Amino acid sequence: MKKTLGWSLLIVLFIFSCSTFSARKTVITYWTHTDDNRTRIENRYIAEFTKMHPDVEIKRVVNEASKMGDIVLTAFAANNGPDLFNLPIEQEYGYMMNHRVAPVDYKLLGYKNWAALKDDYADNTFDAVTMKGKIYGLPLEVTNWSIFINKKIFRSVGLDPEKDYPKTWEEMADISEKLVLRNGDIITRRGFDFRYPYYLVSFIPMVQQLGGDLLSADGKKAIVNDQAWIKALDFMKAWGPHGRNLGSPTYVNARKIFDNDNNDMAMCLSGFYQEGRIKVDNPEFYDSGEWMVVPFPVFEDAAQDVRCAYYGHYLMVNDSISKQKKQIAWKFIDYMLSHPVEYLTEVNIIQPRKDLVESELFKSLPYTDVFMDDMAKAKPVFLHENGSQFERYIKEAVEEVMLTNADSEEALATLKRKIQEVLDED
Amino acid sequence: MKPVASGERSILSPDERKQKKWSMERKKARWGWIFVTPALLFFAVFSFYPIFNAFYMSLTKKNLLSLKPPELIWFKNYAYLFKSPDFWNSMKATGLFTLGTFFLLVVFSLTLGALIITRKRCKRLLQMVFYSPALLSSVVAALIWLLIFDPRGLANQFLNFLAQTPGTDHNWLASANMLRLSTIIVYFWKYIGYFTIIFVAGMGSIPKSIHEAAEIDGASRWQDFWLIVLPLIKPTTLLVSVMALIQCLKTFSTQYLFTTSGAPTKPINVITLNIYNTAIRDHNIGRASAMSVILFLIMIVLSWMQFKVSKEDTVTYM
Repeated sequence: MKKTLGWSLLIVLFIFSCSTFSARKTVITYWTHTDDNRTRIENRYIAEFTKMHPDVEIKRVVNEASKMGDIVLTAFAANNGPDLFNLPIEQEYGYMMNHRVAPVDYKLLGYKNWAALKDDYADNTFDAVTMKGKIYGLPLEVTNWSIFINKKIFRSVGLDPEKDYPKTWEEMADISEKLVLRNGDIITRRGFDFRYPYYLVSFIPMVQQLGGDLLSADGKKAIVNDQAWIKALDFMKAWGPHGRNLGSPTYVNARKIFDNDNNDMAMCLSGFYQEGRIKVDNPEFYDSGEWMVVPFPVFEDAAQDVRCAYYGHYLMVNDSISKQKKQIAWKFIDYMLSHPVEYLTEVNIIQPRKDLVESELFKSLPYTDVFMDDMAKAKPVFLHENGSQFERYIKEAVEEVMLTNADSEEALATLKRKIQEVLDED
Repeated sequence: MKPVASGERSILSPDERKQKKWSMERKKARWGWIFVTPALLFFAVFSFYPIFNAFYMSLTKKNLLSLKPPELIWFKNYAYLFKSPDFWNSMKATGLFTLGTFFLLVVFSLTLGALIITRKRCKRLLQMVFYSPALLSSVVAALIWLLIFDPRGLANQFLNFLAQTPGTDHNWLASANMLRLSTIIVYFWKYIGYFTIIFVAGMGSIPKSIHEAAEIDGASRWQDFWLIVLPLIKPTTLLVSVMALIQCLKTFSTQYLFTTSGAPTKPINVITLNIYNTAIRDHNIGRASAMSVILFLIMIVLSWMQFKVSKEDTVTYM
């Protein structure tokens, strides 16, 4: 009796497992960073896509943007990366260089060849994700940063925001001096503060304005034009607590408090997506029209007019997954990105499709002309396999001169030595 | 063995008796092994394997993202580290942090433990109050203190109120020395209760009769503490000092959160933070593993030295 029961149980379990196996869906994991607006629309896209493909399940996992780099890297290091993900291109570059991501399946997406895919997008969109003629990601957004201004605060100190906004970094410091409020040494209202620690995006262009650069053209020599670097570091030192005390990396991130309109932040450096965040965080402030966007400043004696670097978030597919999963992942990416207008109007992120950026809708949105003009004068963000390592070294140099009053020349010498060491190892 | 007829008692030789006893011991031990094996397997997979893997990786050159196998470079990672100013800065940062925190933790937890044990009322409340920060994760603790150390935060307000220096920014997260002090404060605040409880338990295990006998003999409270309690809690003191030392050497979350929130890295670039940055930011897992092996050896040596310095392991009351 017991034996019969045991065998019956085994047979039932076997049948159950077979049926479960045959009914199993293909699960695609999609890792991305937090953005409430984008989450809302992408969850809808997932529901629509899975309705069209009932044998597919999409698991969307969100993490803090600042943590995404570490999380995705750790997963890939353990050969357990997500099926598709997005990161800023300066972080994704290493994945491409190390063949961890798959080239875009252009045929699956209905394109005849790579050129046809590129034709749908603005010029240079795919430069950062092209390797040996193949494209390795599709752009979720391309972003650059300009200066957001709180008009009320400007007027409170007798400035006209439409005319008196800072056009140079020197003016930025002088105007911030007029706008800043302090309780002794402690700043209670900042005029402006930088996007610490995103130095590749916002600090390198300042150095480039002064005629310097991070690497030589052949990529073999660290630090081009020491004087340009020293001037940029001196500017940051003068900005910090040991100089004019206009701001510091130890204060709360400027763009996070700008939206609150609490009279504690007059200007911040951010992208077009910030408009969507103001709209959600503080609709009253958004609708009041008491904010505006102006171009990224340029040094008075700049050697070249370079604006804040542009970078992108590209959707990429893990190369180690099966061909079937790759195809589903590309189809899903294509489906999501077939809604560029909704990404623009609901999330305020720009997919650089020609039909979008040339449309009347795009031109009618607040300050897109400022962002586009700045982007036209900008260089793409510095890309290198060791990019995040270089950024860490630049962070150390800038924060040392700002916060510990270190000598700019010494900080630069250390920075140069460290970067050259990495280049020589390669 | 001689066959035994019914009714006769069997006579075993000493060797046979020994063999029988050993097989009985073996039978008893079998169940012990069955219960212990899962834990041993768990430890082997999640502790031994990573340790050995780290040793191996420390002898290789490997990019975390690369699919290429690790390249064996033997001790070049170690040679690089011993010549690297960055590594020695990390050693200095770790040393300063450990020295600053370790002694404070041991001395104050002992003092607080003595204070609590002598209370007639509110013993449990005091224990709960001091222990509660230890329940928080290190990340949460660091985030709380980040707000406190913000230029507009409570730390400046409190210190300015005490020192009557309104508006002074004491640069808790900016200046090198204040930054080191800030990390020590956070760690001290978080772990003081934990070690206090251990001391309370140690002191509480001393029989009351010994204190009563000392009182009858005319010993003062200070003499009772210095000549009776302290010697008798030597094992506890050794335990606390080893644990505190290892905790201090392993510090990471506070320094990580502070540096990612704008504090300068160099003054508080402890070894664990350097390991993290080398592995995760620089993708150099081989060099990071070498640093972790060095840290492991430092911990082993210091712990061994502590055991050596302590003369007795066991304490008897008679």
